[in-house]
Amino acid sequence: MSDEIIWQVIDKQFSDQIKERAHMPSKLWQRIKLSQNYATALKQIDEQLIYWPKFLIHKAKQRVTRLTQVAIRMRRLAKEEARLGEKVVPKMAPKIRRREETRERKAEAAAKLERTIERELMQRLRTGAYGDQPLNVSETIWKKVLNAMEREGEGKRDKDLDQGIEDEEEEEEEEEVEYEEEDDEPDGAVEYVSDFEESDDDLEDIEDWLGSDESDKEEESESEDSEEESTKKAVGDKRKRARVIRAKPKKAARRGKEIEHEHEFERHREELAF
Amino acid sequence: MGAQRSTSLSKKTGNKLYRQSLYVKQKREREKEKREARFRRKKEEDIEPELRAQRVARNQPATIDRKRVWDDVDDDGLGASVDMEQLLKKRRLQQEEAEERLAAGLDEESDPEKDDDEDSMLGSDDEESDEEAAAKARAKQVIRDDSLAPSTTSTNLDLTPESLVSKFPSLFSDDGPAEPKVLVTTTLNSTLHDQARLLCTLFPHSTYIPRSAHKYGHKYSVREICKFAGNRGFSSVMILREDLKKPIGLDIVHLPSGPTFHFSISNWVEGKKLPGHGNPTNHYPELLLNNFKTPLGVLTARLFQSLWPKTPELQGRQVVTLHNQRDYIFLRRHRYIFRDKRATEKSVVGADGKELKGVENIRTGLQELGPRATLKLRRIDKGIGRAGSEGDDAIQWEWKAKMEKQRTRFNL
Repeated sequence: MSDEIIWQVIDKQFSDQIKERAHMPSKLWQRIKLSQNYATALKQIDEQLIYWPKFLIHKAKQRVTRLTQVAIRMRRLAKEEARLGEKVVPKMAPKIRRREETRERKAEAAAKLERTIERELMQRLRTGAYGDQPLNVSETIWKKVLNAMEREGEGKRDKDLDQGIEDEEEEEEEEEVEYEEEDDEPDGAVEYVSDFEESDDDLEDIEDWLGSDESDKEEESESEDSEEESTKKAVGDKRKRARVIRAKPKKAARRGKEIEHEHEFERHREELAF
Repeated sequence: MGAQRSTSLSKKTGNKLYRQSLYVKQKREREKEKREARFRRKKEEDIEPELRAQRVARNQPATIDRKRVWDDVDDDGLGASVDMEQLLKKRRLQQEEAEERLAAGLDEESDPEKDDDEDSMLGSDDEESDEEAAAKARAKQVIRDDSLAPSTTSTNLDLTPESLVSKFPSLFSDDGPAEPKVLVTTTLNSTLHDQARLLCTLFPHSTYIPRSAHKYGHKYSVREICKFAGNRGFSSVMILREDLKKPIGLDIVHLPSGPTFHFSISNWVEGKKLPGHGNPTNHYPELLLNNFKTPLGVLTARLFQSLWPKTPELQGRQVVTLHNQRDYIFLRRHRYIFRDKRATEKSVVGADGKELKGVENIRTGLQELGPRATLKLRRIDKGIGRAGSEGDDAIQWEWKAKMEKQRTRFNL
């Protein structure tokens, strides 16, 4: 500690002039180390300055008192600082600051934020990341998306509707698919199966989650769920298809199972980060 | 060209007014020429769309992002600027190759009719074959890279390298609370109460607690605050730093024991100041983490992910974006709506410039809710702040001004 050093060097030493050595200027002054203890130090002053004027003794004592107080305060502040552990960080040099301002401005321009955000949202929409009955899309728009997806994935649509529709990303990256499938597919499939089977079991939960207004529809969807189970392959009608999996996204919302969500669409949209 | 003619003429002419009119006339001519050329080209390209495709392919703007360089190392530490996606792909390829090699080698060894010298070579020089495999994998990767267009910018957190997970187990473990709880506070004697409250609207389940009641009140250290917060079920603590009554930094502590991320804030604009802004609702927003590519970026993205609830409430139609571009992280919050495309609008195109299939007639309307800010990562401490981290790896990563000398290398 720096204050400790200062204390040792300055304070606890005290010089007095010995007149008998006036003929030896180099030894005229005598340096006496004072005790760390305040009371002892005062006593030492009294002893050493026994023939000195009272006023000067008083002054010396005053000085010791003052320095003791300073040392105590310094120690206290240092301790507080160590406890808080907050350091004042120097500001960045103006040169760096200016450079960063400029680069930030340019980076922002390059980011094209609104366009990027829009693109990402659209990606999520069309890859089915919002579930089969999304709450953030109006009916008409969602119908359009479904239509487009159906038109596109005519032959490719899976019977379960669980994997969504394979989009053109896959076509572009055909070469990759061969090894991506090896490790990704079993994972996603397993995740989904458990999800889908359960949906009948905790219907009660869903019901109170959905609220009273939708409970009548719920029964409908329940019957259709079973219906769908039998005619999985034949789901061509888009209206039916939209209704069939009604419970799913809401259930996802309830149970906070984001992980399953991610896995489910992993094959097309690994990058989804909710 | 016209440019040359115009300079020569306008320099020759002594009369200023005449010179000016001459200049205008010549400029007009020049523009006219350009315009005609443009229309001509358009006509040609309408007949032959290939020409346009060629021109567009040729006219790639030379942006810094395009010129971005990556470290050529097989390292997933925080200091390395490597693309995690590519690195993992490379590793997987190498592994596959090695396995193939191994299988082939085994086959050959088991086959008695194989050539003896080849067999011996394989048996003796394992390293060489490994190198060969690596080289082959690299070559393969290069080919793949070219064909692969980045379809999207979103961050894939499945790419987290193992070394990161082992280094920050608490950040990557999934057993934390499902709904994060954030404590927002400021530095000592700060005046940023409004801004801190604003931050609270951004993070669900967050509370602003003023750092001290008054100037001479007892001062708690960040470590103490973090301890208290941890005991009260908070998942992270945020400290808003101030300079000249403006927020200049944000320290985020992941409870219970770090790591601590220090960000600097620039360009802070609260929602109220944004023209045409909306008012946020209390729904959990969706999170868009864009463009975090290196291990450091993945770590940062993971931190941000841990600040918002995992499951968004989609009916709120709110989206919080953290977009990384050239190490600047742009924080934005919008409300969106999917709507029909207007006749005057174009369809949304992907990163490769092609229209997104299936949503050609749909656009997204965005309304900014604010606050908006630009963050920049400055330091990552292992524990709670600099004072709370000990050991050689107390500072896991630190920004240095010299890192920015090369304009095409980025850390995130």
